[in-house]
Amino acid sequence: MEFEEYVSARGQELVRLGFTVSGDYQRAEDLAQIALMQAFRSWRKVRNADDPHHYVRRILINAYLSMTRRRSFTEAPTAEIDPQRTVPDPATDIVNSDDLWRSLAGLSARERVVLVLRYYQDLDDRTIADLLGIKPSSVRATASRALATLRRTRQSHRVDERLS
Amino acid sequence: MSNTDLEDDLRATLDRAAASVPPVTGLTERATTGARQAQRRTWIVSSAAAVAVAAIAIVGFGLAGRNAPAQPPVAAGTSSAKPEASVQAQLSPQTVSGTWRPLQMTGLKALKAERPDDPVLVLRPDGTWGGSDGCNGLQGTYTIGQRGEFTAKAGPQRLVGCENVPHTGVLQAAKRVALDANTLRFYAADGRELARYARAR
Repeated sequence: MEFEEYVSARGQELVRLGFTVSGDYQRAEDLAQIALMQAFRSWRKVRNADDPHHYVRRILINAYLSMTRRRSFTEAPTAEIDPQRTVPDPATDIVNSDDLWRSLAGLSARERVVLVLRYYQDLDDRTIADLLGIKPSSVRATASRALATLRRTRQSHRVDERLS
Repeated sequence: MSNTDLEDDLRATLDRAAASVPPVTGLTERATTGARQAQRRTWIVSSAAAVAVAAIAIVGFGLAGRNAPAQPPVAAGTSSAKPEASVQAQLSPQTVSGTWRPLQMTGLKALKAERPDDPVLVLRPDGTWGGSDGCNGLQGTYTIGQRGEFTAKAGPQRLVGCENVPHTGVLQAAKRVALDANTLRFYAADGRELARYARAR
C-alpha cells in the first residue's frame, strides 16, 4: 500500500480519532498531520507492519499524550483576536448539546484515551495496553476509574437539573 | 444508571462527535511536505552542529598547541595526520576540478535513492562549485591550499525537499581534502572523513 492510498483510506479516520481524544477540531487535524508525517518518514517500516493503521494510530495517541504533558498545552489566548476571522467549528453545536461529551473533558488525558480506544475504536484491553505501552490491568483500572468519574458527574448534573 | 447504559451512551456520544468532524482535504500534501521540511531542518541543525564542533575543535587544538611544550622539529614529509598522508597529488582547483559522484557520506544511508536530478558535485577550476542535491541546483565558491586546506561557501539555493544529498553541508564542514587517483575525500577539522566522491567525468 502506498502512502497516498493509506491517507485517502484512513486519513479522515485519524482526524476523527484526534477529535475524540482531544475534543478540539484544530488539534485533531494537527494530531493527524503529526502522525502521518512520522509515518511518511518511515513508510517502508509502517507498510511492512502487521497492521499499518495500528502503527499510525499509536503515533497519534502518543503524540496527543506527549502534547498534554507539555506545560504549554493549556494555550493562552493571543492578545488580539479578530472575531471576524474566527472559523466556525461545525462540531461545536452538536457536541455542546451532549453533557457526556462535556464530562469527558474533565477526565485526564490517559483516561479519555482509554475510553475512546475502548468505546469508539472498539479495541480490546490487550490491544489498548499494547498501544499505550502499559499492562492490560492498568487499562482496566483506568477505564473503571474514568467510568466512575463520568457516572458521578452525570448524576450531579441531573441533580442540578432537578433543582433548577 | 447501569454501567452498560453509560457505556452505550458513551459509544453513541463518541460516534456522534466523530461523525461531526468535517472532511479534511490535503492531508497527504501536508504530511509529506511537513516531513520533508522536518528532514531538512534536521539536516541543517546537524550541519550547524558539525560546523560548531569543528570550530570548537580548531580553537581547542589551537589553545592546546599554544600551551604545549616545544616539540622537536619533524622532518618534512613525515606528518602523521591521516588526511595529509593520503594526499598524492598537489592540490589546487585545477587538480580537483571535474564532476564528482558521492560514494559515501557520514550519516547518510539513502545515497542510492532515486532523485529527480543526478546528485553530482561539480568543482570548477575558477574556484566555484555547483551541482545538485538531487532536486535543487547548488552553487558556491571554494578555496583549496596546496596541502589540502579547504574552505567553501554556499550561494543562494532552492529548498525543495527530496532525499537531498547534503553536498553543501559536507563542503562547509570540510577543512581538508585529499585526492587519491579518482577519489576525492573531504575531512572535518578533527580528521574524520566526511564524504568520499568518485570522479564521474
